[in-house]
Amino acid sequence: MNTIIKLFASILATLSLVAGARAQHSHTQLPSRSAPYSAHTLELAESLPVQDGGRVKPLSTYASFTLLRFNGKSSCKTVDGTKLDATSWLLDVLFYPEQAAEYPVFKVDDIQAIEAIGLKLEGKKKRDRYTFNEIRPAISTLFERAREYGQKEERDRSTVEQQVFTLATSIDDYIRLRTHFDFAREPQSIADVPALVTVFGKDSVSFSELMTKLPELVELQGAWRNDPARGEDSKRLVQLVQTASEYTSGTETLALIPPITSVKEEEAWHSPADLFMAAFEKQSTPTPYIDMLAAFEKLALSSGDPLQFEMALATVHNQSVAKTMARGEYEKIPLEISYYKAQFITNSLVLFLIGFLFAAGMWLLPRVKALYWGATLSVVGATALVVGAIVVRCMIRERPPVSTLYETLLFVAGVGAVTLLVIEWINKQRMALSVAAVLGMVLLLLANGYETLDKRDTMPQLIAVLDTNFWLATHVTAITAGYAAGLVAAAIANVYLVTRLFGIKKNDPTFAKLLSRMTYGSLAFALIFSVVGTILGGIWANESWGRFWGWDPKENGALMICLAQLVIMHARMGGYLREFGLAAATAFQGTVIAFSWFGVNLLGVGLHSYGFTSGIHTALWSYYGVQWGLVAVCVVHYLVQRTREDAVKQALATRGGGPAIPTTQGRAE
Amino acid sequence: MKLLKWCYDALSSLWLSCILLFDLGILTWLGTLEQVNTGLFEVQKKYFESWFFIHHAGPIAIPMPGATLVLAVLAVNIVLGGLVRMRKSKATLGVLITHIGIIFLIFAGYVKMNHSADGHVTLFEGQASNTFESYHHWEIAILEQLDDGRLRETIAPQGDFELSLGATPVKLKSNDLPFELEIAHFSPNARVLPKGPMITPKLPVVDGYFLDAIELEKQNEQNIAGAYATVVERSGGARQEAILWGASRQPWTVTVAGKQYGIELRREQFLMPFTVALDDFKKEDHPRMNMPKSFSSDVTVVEGPTKRPVKISMNEPLRQDGLVLYQASWGPSNARPGDPLFSTLAVVDNPADQYPLYACIVIAVGLVMHFTRKLAKHIKSQQSNAS
Repeated sequence: MNTIIKLFASILATLSLVAGARAQHSHTQLPSRSAPYSAHTLELAESLPVQDGGRVKPLSTYASFTLLRFNGKSSCKTVDGTKLDATSWLLDVLFYPEQAAEYPVFKVDDIQAIEAIGLKLEGKKKRDRYTFNEIRPAISTLFERAREYGQKEERDRSTVEQQVFTLATSIDDYIRLRTHFDFAREPQSIADVPALVTVFGKDSVSFSELMTKLPELVELQGAWRNDPARGEDSKRLVQLVQTASEYTSGTETLALIPPITSVKEEEAWHSPADLFMAAFEKQSTPTPYIDMLAAFEKLALSSGDPLQFEMALATVHNQSVAKTMARGEYEKIPLEISYYKAQFITNSLVLFLIGFLFAAGMWLLPRVKALYWGATLSVVGATALVVGAIVVRCMIRERPPVSTLYETLLFVAGVGAVTLLVIEWINKQRMALSVAAVLGMVLLLLANGYETLDKRDTMPQLIAVLDTNFWLATHVTAITAGYAAGLVAAAIANVYLVTRLFGIKKNDPTFAKLLSRMTYGSLAFALIFSVVGTILGGIWANESWGRFWGWDPKENGALMICLAQLVIMHARMGGYLREFGLAAATAFQGTVIAFSWFGVNLLGVGLHSYGFTSGIHTALWSYYGVQWGLVAVCVVHYLVQRTREDAVKQALATRGGGPAIPTTQGRAE
Repeated sequence: MKLLKWCYDALSSLWLSCILLFDLGILTWLGTLEQVNTGLFEVQKKYFESWFFIHHAGPIAIPMPGATLVLAVLAVNIVLGGLVRMRKSKATLGVLITHIGIIFLIFAGYVKMNHSADGHVTLFEGQASNTFESYHHWEIAILEQLDDGRLRETIAPQGDFELSLGATPVKLKSNDLPFELEIAHFSPNARVLPKGPMITPKLPVVDGYFLDAIELEKQNEQNIAGAYATVVERSGGARQEAILWGASRQPWTVTVAGKQYGIELRREQFLMPFTVALDDFKKEDHPRMNMPKSFSSDVTVVEGPTKRPVKISMNEPLRQDGLVLYQASWGPSNARPGDPLFSTLAVVDNPADQYPLYACIVIAVGLVMHFTRKLAKHIKSQQSNAS
């Protein structure tokens, strides 16, 4: 019997190639969607659970990040320019593949990548979006080039090569999606094989029906293969199974079928391909799986009728949700859908922007109280939304607030804004409020940028060493709070430098003193969290890897933050740094934080490989450049100003006295 | 006396604190960037475990103090300036406590650097061991079968022969042995090659083979040491020569005064006061992914007549008799379902294992005390200004 399985297996092994070719063919008789999906249909689709990236999530999340990966954003446009949300797009790809093939969803940053695969398309810009149908004629060349470039390390690929590689990956994933329901689209005719008609009791057979009899068919093939009288029947049987296998090939991408057992017994969800392979190895397929496959068939076949489609989707939804609930995996799905629908981060960003505009007005028209209250309400609202987002994410993942690089950005924005609001509450001088608006805005813009760059689920599963809520809650939270407070200090220090450089409020020495105190206070707050967070990191490393300190780049980055802050604190205490020196050094310290936070990830070495990042060179070096440049200009300006003051003082002293000249330098506290 | 006073003032000064902290920051930064091109072990030795070193910034060679020197002076600076000289009052209590914590942390580092050992024990399922071997250090072991059947090992640690880099040999002697062992041309990374007709080896050829010193690997664990060894009999001075190589499967056997000895160059080994047996190794991935979710080793710890089962997993090490065993690695990486797996347990013998935790608590308490007091004072002054 093993021989039969091997024979079938060898046939199936060739099918991946066939599947690739199949994917390039047009579906000639597939229906088109004539009207938008109803709200209920979309609701059912969004909340359909799927296992992806090691966790169970709503289909809407899957759709959103898949489209983000292809298109650079979580929505797209149809042929007529209508905006389509991610779930509608995915439904179109799955059930109306020919229609979806006309949507421009493949973003290519450089047209040279398109030319490199032999396509010449008129009217395209250097950076543009392409439809599947536009790429389709060059798919073979695309995959060939991608294979060639894939031999190289990512860092050795040119920009165009990397784009070809990325496009090929997207197209491959896309083909898997558009052919996912091929198995469900039409039954196979067996009318010409009476023996099979007898087995199935009908002259055509759907995939789900075939699955009920697959182990039996494998046995039958063993018997027919050696019977010369059954030669033709045997060939047709192989063909029947081959076709079914071909249809399921590639469906592994989307695991929509929850196991009927508990999570403990079986964690991995199923795709039609998995079920087919299990049945092929002569395991009978449990009835609930067959029912689910039948429900998918009904769904695929009813795509021409919106009402029937909705009813079929409801059946699939009910079956899937019931099983998912029984496994205890559904609880967080509604919350995750609500989280993304509420658009916490986007709304917070908008509020920070409004807060910034109010704050700008507040400085221009200081007597208009309404502007102050407008800024306060906007920034408080924005902060509440970020904190809300962090809390909801914790609830969804049952994790502490920070477990990914993306979440560090949200957390730093949240903690930074809260810290500045507390400073504002203590000082009531409008400055901390304004800085909160700017810092919150910049960090959330970075968070959005990072999400687009990374193009992956921002709530991923963690690797083994990170899978500890205790250390994530202590070390990671503390060190990220240290980043936040350190950046708050740097932001205030920059305000000091800029106001001084342009002579703003130069007649108000209390203003400079206030900024200096705020800088010092934030730095002190940062120091506590940086030092404690760094040592806690060492203790975690001691528990996981057997050493407290290993001079790993990420560890070194954290140490450098502590050392920078300690130098500043001690130099201030010793009087080596006064108001200006404190501001310049603290602003510089911001770049040390950026190096530790993102810079070391670019080095690509060390044990913290899970934090490696690419594609942020420009942003990081822009920050370094602007910050170092500003500090350098301010230092030169300060030295020139001081030399002039000294010269004036000396001249007055030579003349035998005169009124005391106020110095530009305040005393250290 | 004046000089002493000047030294005291200098060593306890704030400006020295600033310079030392700044210098440590620079060292850390340089040592981080260097890791892109050089392995961590070499970087650690050069920047962080040295007293002085030369940093090459392009064509310019800059002599710099190593982190060991900086930390040593910093410890003195904190003791003198941050404890002895510092004003003792309620206002400085938090800072004093923080300084005590930092000194304790530096002390923990000193203990770890000078009085700890680390390595690994790698076992296939069903295997057991009561030794662990170093990742980085080598030793030469001379093995001798005693009359009662036991095996006696005479060990020369790497420190005894690592300076035998050239042709001038280092002599290893033991009163228990009838010969001296001369070690020459020690290389921390080498391969053994046959002497072909077209090859002109730089090092001597022994029995048709020679040692070829090669560049150090970035990962120090991948380096295989080699050396030339000569046995010189005490009576008569007869000489027998061989190449010792860290990857040899068998020791070099020599016969001296009618008795056989085995000589091998191997990773430094440490005896554990218990035996650890690997019963089962489990690796779990996240569903439908290749991302590891957990690794764990079910082991039995045998100490005398007592046996106890223990699970060692990521973040859950085994602590026993002063040793800590961690789940470090596993393999073979290309194993198929059903293939036997091995588990690598990192073993650390560090008397200061828990010191950083205590230091962290002390430092946190100190910093919170100090800055809370400052914040309260600031708020109070704001309120009084407002009123």
